[in-house]
Amino acid sequence: MAAPNTNDAAGASASTSDDALAPPEDTSIEALARRVQEHMTLANNPSARRHKFWETQPVGQFRDLADGSLPDGAIEPPSPLSEVRADPYPLPAAFEWFTCDLDDDALLADLYALLAHNYVEDDENMFRFNYSPAFLRWALRPPSFFRAWHIGVRAKESKKLVAFISGVPARIRARDDVVRMAEINFLCVHKKLRSKRLAPVLIREVTRRVHQENIWQAAYTAGVVLPTPITTCRYWHRSLNPKKLIDVGFSRLGPRMTMSRTVRLYKLPDAPLTPGFRQMELRDVAAVTRLLRSYLARYVVAPDFDELDVEHWLLPQEDVVDSYLVESPETHEVTDFCSFYTLPSSVLNNATYSTLKAAYSYYNVAVKTPLQQLMNDALIVAKQKNYDVFNALDVMENEGFLKELKFGPGDGQLHYYLYNYRIRNGIKPSELGLVLL
Amino acid sequence: MGGDWQELAQSAVIGLIFAFLVAKLISVVLAFKEDNLRITRSAPAPPAAPSPSAPPDDAPSNAADPLLDGSGSSDSDWEGVESTELDEDFSAASAFVAASAASGTSVPDEAQLRLYGLYKIATEGPCTAPQPSALKLKARAKWNAWNKLGAMPTEEAMEEYITIVDELFPNWADGSSAKKRDGDSTMSASGSKGPMGPVFSSLMYEEDQGTETELGDIHVSAREGAIDDVKKHLSAGVQVNIRDSEERTPLHWAVDRGHLNAVEVLVNSNADVNAQDNEGQTALHYAVLCEREDIAELLVKHQADLQIKDGDGNTPRDLCSSAWPFMKPAN
Repeated sequence: MAAPNTNDAAGASASTSDDALAPPEDTSIEALARRVQEHMTLANNPSARRHKFWETQPVGQFRDLADGSLPDGAIEPPSPLSEVRADPYPLPAAFEWFTCDLDDDALLADLYALLAHNYVEDDENMFRFNYSPAFLRWALRPPSFFRAWHIGVRAKESKKLVAFISGVPARIRARDDVVRMAEINFLCVHKKLRSKRLAPVLIREVTRRVHQENIWQAAYTAGVVLPTPITTCRYWHRSLNPKKLIDVGFSRLGPRMTMSRTVRLYKLPDAPLTPGFRQMELRDVAAVTRLLRSYLARYVVAPDFDELDVEHWLLPQEDVVDSYLVESPETHEVTDFCSFYTLPSSVLNNATYSTLKAAYSYYNVAVKTPLQQLMNDALIVAKQKNYDVFNALDVMENEGFLKELKFGPGDGQLHYYLYNYRIRNGIKPSELGLVLL
Repeated sequence: MGGDWQELAQSAVIGLIFAFLVAKLISVVLAFKEDNLRITRSAPAPPAAPSPSAPPDDAPSNAADPLLDGSGSSDSDWEGVESTELDEDFSAASAFVAASAASGTSVPDEAQLRLYGLYKIATEGPCTAPQPSALKLKARAKWNAWNKLGAMPTEEAMEEYITIVDELFPNWADGSSAKKRDGDSTMSASGSKGPMGPVFSSLMYEEDQGTETELGDIHVSAREGAIDDVKKHLSAGVQVNIRDSEERTPLHWAVDRGHLNAVEVLVNSNADVNAQDNEGQTALHYAVLCEREDIAELLVKHQADLQIKDGDGNTPRDLCSSAWPFMKPAN
């Protein structure tokens, strides 16, 4: 593969000549100062550094980005299971590993409390995710889940749960390759223990337990840039209850804009508009699976759902996941499908409101009904069910309806990652068919 | 052997302080310089443009940089702060190594030599010392460990040093008071975002579909609920029903933003409660849309008309989604 290198060399010389064409006031001393400054910036660039952990891991490395000759697929081959470390990684002396049995309501409540008080917040610490106990049970116990992947750390003395990480098994297709992976999520360390460097140990430990099941790849997301995203998505938000969103600071009112006009701007009809639009039921699982499989096949990275998966992930559960479909009034064929999951956030430090109820777009398939109309109906039912905001990533075909349905861009970027799996050159958000919770 | 490690620990402290001061001085000077350059330079190419001026065979971090800048990570507030944190981590790690060496903890020779080389790079830079005689086995091995790292950047050496210490002593930082910062930020740029997992996002832009609207001073005072200013404008002769460019009165604005006391001032100054904006809406339309019950009730008491239709043909009663008794028909 000499060609890419030639291209690189050409690109480099092109940029060099750009430098030569720099404006005349760029005297040599200034140019020198700038070069030194650039070097300092590079050395200080937090994204380029501080990945001493991830640089030891089989993930796409930044330095490999220019190397077009590296093949797609596993970065490291699987090891013999006998070579997988048998013992858990050591923890600081006061702590012990603890597998969370989520059948146990008390343990579920402990996990809920840990996350509700210590999990992800926005940059200004105005909101914190508040995954409900029912949601956690749903998210962590899909078909063939491994209890050993619900990994807690607790204080030896008090038995208090102080940190958590989880994996769930999934079949994820990358191009033509269906791979058994772990979806890693809910990494959380108690606020008071953020200095204990527990997160790397948790990641190593979940990796070890995943390897023990002979699974060597994983998918995860992060709000920060790590080596190396397969794609970077943006969140978009559709106000359903604009007054509340403004009152809690999720949204802001321009000085020349009125609240009353904002309220009218986001008004929605009282009932869905598409004939045959109804909630998904158990009897629809086969039809929805067919729809979803053929739809997701067009994406570069997407889950490989079977009927069991669809029944688990998409059958409606109150305040966890909602799914609607369009059943043709004439043929009774299921032609379209949309879904969203429920993720409330605690509103921190607001006298009037304590919770923000958000719907997150999940998987949507529009075949007969225009996608924009289908999603408008999703907004309508979400509004009926008292959600304050409807969020969507710019994945799949979502860009096709975001602006038209009055979604506004969010300040949050979500990076998607694969562990021990290279997708050369990454993909566009619109090529991603995977939504992680 | 123990003497070596102690000597190392001593030079660690002095070396670090010096390196830090020099780095800080350079960065301050350069930041100043760069600011001036930004003002004078009219070059169109932003520094983040994906055209790396660094040659392709430079350090790996250089190759990654265009992508990172292009991905728009908002980490700029970490620049500058970061190097001191790395310094802190590195000094904590080297202090830990020195302490554990002094207490007789054994470290594999290979790792020990690697740490030595990295330490020298981090504190002194590339090896310039003359090669020791081949007979001095230990000195020669150490010199080799240093020399073979060539021109490795200081930062990279610190990073790798900490990585090795992490591997050798996974819990080394437990007893270290130097680890004040968010330990999870080994992998994250921001404590609130966490190293992995979902992201909380909120709307980036404000609701501003009225940017061309022009307000008078009294409208602004009413919008802000500044009743003293409202009174001042009125006593200075400003009409209480003066319209902004969208035909809104000060009363519309006071209602819209929910300032009950400003609404009281305005209605007591004979504001027209049934004035309509350019979309036919009265202050009572605003009050019901914005669900301001106390204000709506006050307006109704002051004979606000429940039957006025706005441009869409809706009366305040049509728009009222709450069961407010004062909005019900009289009979």
